[in-house]
Amino acid sequence: MTFQPTAGLGLKPQHYADALACWAEGLWFEVHPENYMAAGGPRLAWLDAIARDRPISLHGVGLSLAADESPDEDHLAALKRLVDRYRPMVVSEHLAWSMRRGVYAPDLLPFPRTRAALDRIAANVDRMQSVLGRQVLIENPSLYLPLTGHDLGEVEFLAELSKRTGCGLLVDVNNVHVSASNLGFRAEAYLDAIPAAAVGEIHLAGHAADERLGEALLIDTHDRPVSEAVWRLYARLIDRIGPRPTLIERDDEVPDFGTLMTERDRAHRLLAARELADA
Amino acid sequence: MPERFHARFLDALAGDARAISAWCVGPGVEAGLSVYRNTIAKGRSDALSAMFPTVEQVVGPDWLAAAARLHADEVPPRRASLLTYGEDFPAWLADFPPAADMPFLAGLARLDVLWTVAHLAADAAPLDPARMAALRPEDFARSTLALHPATRFAGFDESLPSLWRALQPAGPPPARFELELRPEGLLIVRPGLEIETLVVGPGALAFLSACAEGASLADAAVGALTAEAGLDLSRLFATLVAAGAFQSLRTLP
Repeated sequence: MTFQPTAGLGLKPQHYADALACWAEGLWFEVHPENYMAAGGPRLAWLDAIARDRPISLHGVGLSLAADESPDEDHLAALKRLVDRYRPMVVSEHLAWSMRRGVYAPDLLPFPRTRAALDRIAANVDRMQSVLGRQVLIENPSLYLPLTGHDLGEVEFLAELSKRTGCGLLVDVNNVHVSASNLGFRAEAYLDAIPAAAVGEIHLAGHAADERLGEALLIDTHDRPVSEAVWRLYARLIDRIGPRPTLIERDDEVPDFGTLMTERDRAHRLLAARELADA
Repeated sequence: MPERFHARFLDALAGDARAISAWCVGPGVEAGLSVYRNTIAKGRSDALSAMFPTVEQVVGPDWLAAAARLHADEVPPRRASLLTYGEDFPAWLADFPPAADMPFLAGLARLDVLWTVAHLAADAAPLDPARMAALRPEDFARSTLALHPATRFAGFDESLPSLWRALQPAGPPPARFELELRPEGLLIVRPGLEIETLVVGPGALAFLSACAEGASLADAAVGALTAEAGLDLSRLFATLVAAGAFQSLRTLP
């Protein structure tokens, strides 16, 4: 992968001015394209200004690649307009679904990882990449249900998807931790099996224990700092595969920009140290 | 087959956990499903609530979130971009029994929708006031004014636009939610990146509506005078053009 392996931040509208003024080395920003699918106005103007100085990553949440139908062509066209406008360093989506028969459920829904599902999703990723004219990265979701009927494990499925379509992988270490805890597998073994060459980006975020069930059910809330357990998994992952662009995600209970930058700088230091180790 | 799973999973989310029993049984099923149900309900409700800050000023965030969840169950989003999700909420609110003692609420919601639509509209340079000033009255019948892409307006039989403006965060909230029975309109413009709002009369609304339909300036002016006797037309032109309500002026040869 050719992207600069530095640390970035999820960009929130309340931080536009701070983001524009920040001079931190290697800083980049990620946004959900769904929040910028407008004809014009201040949001696009802010992103235009920030994208002049910083690399941008477009991280989609609504294309529903794991649906039992093709991706929505209007949505794909709107995404293409943003890709053309911002020339992002990364475009990514999820191994999940959220749209069916024209109704949108804003979540990352699970599915049985069958061979038939792999065929369908590979066709959807092909469609996405051919419309956008570029490679995309696919992210592992957080899982909350012990589904049966899988033909492939999640890593195996993602590796096969990457091999078939040429897509890269976005490894969300917090999602691995949450899924491993909820479904009872070892996060370390999962991360160790990921094909290093396919990984184009890493996500880090905070999670919470369910109010009723406690640690038995972890929820990918993005409403607090990254946990120490996730930082340890992250260090293990980059130790094996080398540095990759790494994002701190926060979508709820968003603190001030400086607080988020402190977390982002921690990832930045780990990446720099990992790069030195190679040199 | 995955086809069967997706439909069944939506049934399970809707309340029937047995719908996915072929893939998932045990004590964790309800708990897992409720994570998805909560995330979906919160995502829809948060997006919808974000479009109605003025309604929120009146009813508070909890009331709005509860109403938004009920609305989302009946009218779920049809697109993955939720920027404009909520366009059907004002009409729904008008028939929502708990809002019956707040007859102004649906109108406030309608103006909040127009604000968002203006906020997201295409960018364009507004009409140069000098062009309008140079137009000769004898050319009015051959000229049309095109609205700026962000321009939105709505008229009411009561002073709802004044109430909406008083509820904006910049100003102090009104002590009482009382409407006066006088026709008023709200004009929303965004000539640059900042939105501005003006309370306008029926003459201005008639003029803007006529322009939106492509009427000549002469016809639009007649419509404005019919709607509001004694209207000062040149002042109206000056106000609307200075506000940035128009994008272009065309005069046929």
